[in-house]
Amino acid sequence: MSTTTVTDEFEPEAVDSYESELLASARTGKKFSWGKAVAWLVMGVILLITLFPFYWILRTALSTNPSLIANPTQFTPPDASLDSFRRVFGTQTGEAALAAGGSGQKIDFWKYLLNSVVVATLVTAGQVFFSAMAAYAFSRLKWKGRDFFYGLFLAGLMVPLIFTFLPNFVLIKQLGLLDNLLGIALPTMMMSPFAVFFLRQFFSNIPMELEEAALLDGSSKIRNFFTLILPMSSAPIATLGILTYIGAWNDYFWPLMVSYTDTSRVLTVGLAIFRSQTPQTGPDWAGLMAATLVAALPMLVLFALFAKRIVNSIGFSGIK
Amino acid sequence: MNNRFARAAMAAATAFGLVLTGCSSSSGDDATQSSSSNVIDYWLWDSAQQPGYQKCADAFAQQNPGLTVNITQIGWDDYWTKLTAGFIADEAPDVFTNHLSKYAQFVDLGVLLPLDDLGPTSGITSSDYQEGLGDLWVGQDGKRYGAPKDWDTIAYFYDAKVTEKAGITKAQLDSMTWNPDDGGTFEDVIAHLTVDTKGVRGDEPGFDKNHVAVYGLASDGSGGENFGQTQWGAYTATLGWTATDKNPWGTHFNLDDANFQKAIDWYYGLAQKGYMPKYSTFGKSSGSYAQFAAGKAALAMNGSWMISSFASLEDVDLEIAPTPVGPSGDRSSPFNGLADSITKFTDNADGSAKWVAYMASDACQNVIGESGVVFPARPAGTARSVAVRKEAGIDVTPFTVHITDGTTKLLNVVNNAADLAALTGPEFDAIYIGSKKASDLTELNGQINKLFEYASK
Amino acid sequence: MASTLTPPVPTRRPKDDTALALAFILPALLGFVAFLLWPTLRGIYLSFTSYNLLTPPKWVGLANYQRMFVDPIFWNAVKVTLEYVIINIALQTVVALLIAVLMDRLTKSTLVRGLVLTPYLVSNVVVAMVFLWILDAQLGIGNQFLAWLGVDPIGFFTEEKWVIPTIALVNVWRHMGYTALLIFAGLQTIPQTAYEAAKVDGASEWKTFWRITLPLLRPILALVLIMTVIGSFQVFDTVAVTTAGGPVNSSRVLQHYIYTMAFGRFQFGYASALSVALLVLLMVITVIQYRLTRAGETDLN
Repeated sequence: MSTTTVTDEFEPEAVDSYESELLASARTGKKFSWGKAVAWLVMGVILLITLFPFYWILRTALSTNPSLIANPTQFTPPDASLDSFRRVFGTQTGEAALAAGGSGQKIDFWKYLLNSVVVATLVTAGQVFFSAMAAYAFSRLKWKGRDFFYGLFLAGLMVPLIFTFLPNFVLIKQLGLLDNLLGIALPTMMMSPFAVFFLRQFFSNIPMELEEAALLDGSSKIRNFFTLILPMSSAPIATLGILTYIGAWNDYFWPLMVSYTDTSRVLTVGLAIFRSQTPQTGPDWAGLMAATLVAALPMLVLFALFAKRIVNSIGFSGIK
Repeated sequence: MNNRFARAAMAAATAFGLVLTGCSSSSGDDATQSSSSNVIDYWLWDSAQQPGYQKCADAFAQQNPGLTVNITQIGWDDYWTKLTAGFIADEAPDVFTNHLSKYAQFVDLGVLLPLDDLGPTSGITSSDYQEGLGDLWVGQDGKRYGAPKDWDTIAYFYDAKVTEKAGITKAQLDSMTWNPDDGGTFEDVIAHLTVDTKGVRGDEPGFDKNHVAVYGLASDGSGGENFGQTQWGAYTATLGWTATDKNPWGTHFNLDDANFQKAIDWYYGLAQKGYMPKYSTFGKSSGSYAQFAAGKAALAMNGSWMISSFASLEDVDLEIAPTPVGPSGDRSSPFNGLADSITKFTDNADGSAKWVAYMASDACQNVIGESGVVFPARPAGTARSVAVRKEAGIDVTPFTVHITDGTTKLLNVVNNAADLAALTGPEFDAIYIGSKKASDLTELNGQINKLFEYASK
Repeated sequence: MASTLTPPVPTRRPKDDTALALAFILPALLGFVAFLLWPTLRGIYLSFTSYNLLTPPKWVGLANYQRMFVDPIFWNAVKVTLEYVIINIALQTVVALLIAVLMDRLTKSTLVRGLVLTPYLVSNVVVAMVFLWILDAQLGIGNQFLAWLGVDPIGFFTEEKWVIPTIALVNVWRHMGYTALLIFAGLQTIPQTAYEAAKVDGASEWKTFWRITLPLLRPILALVLIMTVIGSFQVFDTVAVTTAGGPVNSSRVLQHYIYTMAFGRFQFGYASALSVALLVLLMVITVIQYRLTRAGETDLN
């Protein structure tokens, strides 16, 4: 691959969607074709399948629990009500929530939201930065044992959860970090095999000549990392960042184990009280669906803000 | 090279660990609320019961200056995992709600404190509670590991509007009989209550058992994991059959009993006749409550812990019928109860024991009875609970009749309950589905007996 | 790898960056050792012991592995897991490829790309619960649709033959957009000139896909496959929420069997041996995949 095409790839703004749409229409032509109609139809079906469950989540969230069981397949919300959202935000009284099929638990929604933001930010910032450092060492530096360590890191992808869960819990306890946001973030904050793998593929592709030229100009490799490699990789780093953020945001099991009080309760754990409460009674479906929507909303906003950057340049360009 | 590196890494890791612990040591010990010995940490899984226990906790704190109780509710699915992790990392609560299917394991693992050894709870005696409940919580070593808090039995919920329309009277429902050959009048009733999509009843000619609109009896999974508590346990007990040679701590199983297998064949056979949903119709996720609520079943067998859930259904004229009289000449109902246990990780054993004793006393159990979710284990609390239900217009006699008549059948408490359930669960599923026969239980029974022989060595 | 091309430019320093490299990987290595490597080594050690989590482990040699080899539920779990992975990966890859090509050749709309990723924003557990609700045999809207089409209700989560395909499909729904975006990114690296050449030759879209797109995409597709296969083998949440392994043992995948063995039955030694088996299985499959894809690597350049 020539240097010019690669640098084009690295400029996220260069691949503007308007421009690419123009390219696309120029490529495929503007005249009607049956093939294209079928393709659009297929796309439409895929989008419908993608989005229907979300409609169902919304419809369920806007219903009341008894009406849901009595009218399980009604297309519109049976007995429409916003009560479930009140339960999610904790503005419904405990008695009213219990009567509506909820748990009657106190919910400190905004505190959980803040905790989630802190944890997801810690994990994302730490994991992406430290993984980028490691990826740099694995892709741009020459040293003995490089392949060995890289192979070892990759093998980390395959470790079953059951191995890591209890030892990590005990370690976090020994570090005095139980019921602490740092304790939730720490295990995934230092690295993830996937992030190292992802970034290494990308860094490998940056032409060596660029770095050599900078070195001749008196730069150091450390400086190169910060002034050359990181900025040139802003697009894949943004992509990785948002994927990591979504992952950290949605994580449930580990935060559940580490947090004991509201001080460290994140949104997924706080809102899990809408799931099974007892072995016998069903979950608070309306509340659960409302909670799902509310918990996904910040991710949607984040995604809307960064979508162009991410989807235009997920950084696998030219893996070799 | 590798060696030098490894040593460097170790040193760095240690330093890093020190930095972290150093940073947090100021606040580290107080990071979790359980650390203060004046605060008793109490866990439960049923959110519906939390308000009642909060009232008890408030009253307890008033009577015991310097002690407070902090209640944490965690859903059933996560409750046991979090508890286990807590046992390993010394972060367990002081006191927690315990379950019969779990506690033997915990006694084996040595994580519970015997209540007899603690002053405030040493006076708990089984005779203060509904018969048999207290003995279930005495381990094989003769020590008590749980203070009984509530009990439950089984009955059928039904909508009087539905049964009246079918011409079935309350008197009929209250006096059903059962036998494993033809199902007795119980089967007649559910056959009549079954209606196919064309409106033909289950006992009428032309009934289409493959297109049923309303089933006479709701299903609740196969029941293999829990001795058929809300499935077949109420029938098999009237045969004089018991799952184990003794209870608690049985070691020899009776799943090979021909009469028992006949009853099992009869029960799952209801699905073949169309009177009860097939396994695949609802599976495990939609139990008898959901089937009843959706109007898909006329009789829903379920436990007394579900009374308030059923009562909250709109447009239902809720009535309850007792389990049928079987070959023994009596009714029968599985009988189960929860208790509170103290973990050995508590930093205030005496305070914890005080709280457990308080929950096991009339003072708290009457409050729980009034909150109307479960039947408290003490007779006075039970009476209070029955009265509260009566005021609300629900006659719960079908549940309490087993207590007054002495027809309760204690749920089996065994060692290795989880290993047992891992064998029986799939097996009974298979029998329900039809891929295995009840007679195949004989082989499984041999396996289980071997497992228990091996485990007791 | 870029570094194999020795640059012509001479540098003042020796070519060995060991010290610098160690500094760069140190934070990641710390995390790796503390939270992945050490627990794994400990787990491998525990697989040779009898351990109930609370009393000290007892060395039992190969007993756990001997038990594993004659444990029918283990072999069933391997079979069920493989069945799941094959259905999940095959469908997910085909659908994701379709979406990616459609996004590449049909529309560059950011909105469309955003919409296909939305399922990934919902957590595994909640996705499982939503589909449990939608696909309930009697009370779900899914079977209502089938009824309108005149199809008898399907016990998606209640019939042995349907549970694994259903669970695989649910996870295809959650991951197809995510996978499609990764593939889409790979498509962006195919030079326009390749398509233009095909157009000049008069090749149809269909032929272009098979002759140009797929061969050029192969290296990226291979990497996506390696990642998704590893993820697919670790399926747990969806099973735990929807079927808990049933009916009978028809959806008892390895991770679920391991989890219940460890936390339900406190047989941590045996659970560790099962985990080692899963780890070995994954490594073998990954190495095979890596070898195969490397052998088949093509590059227009």
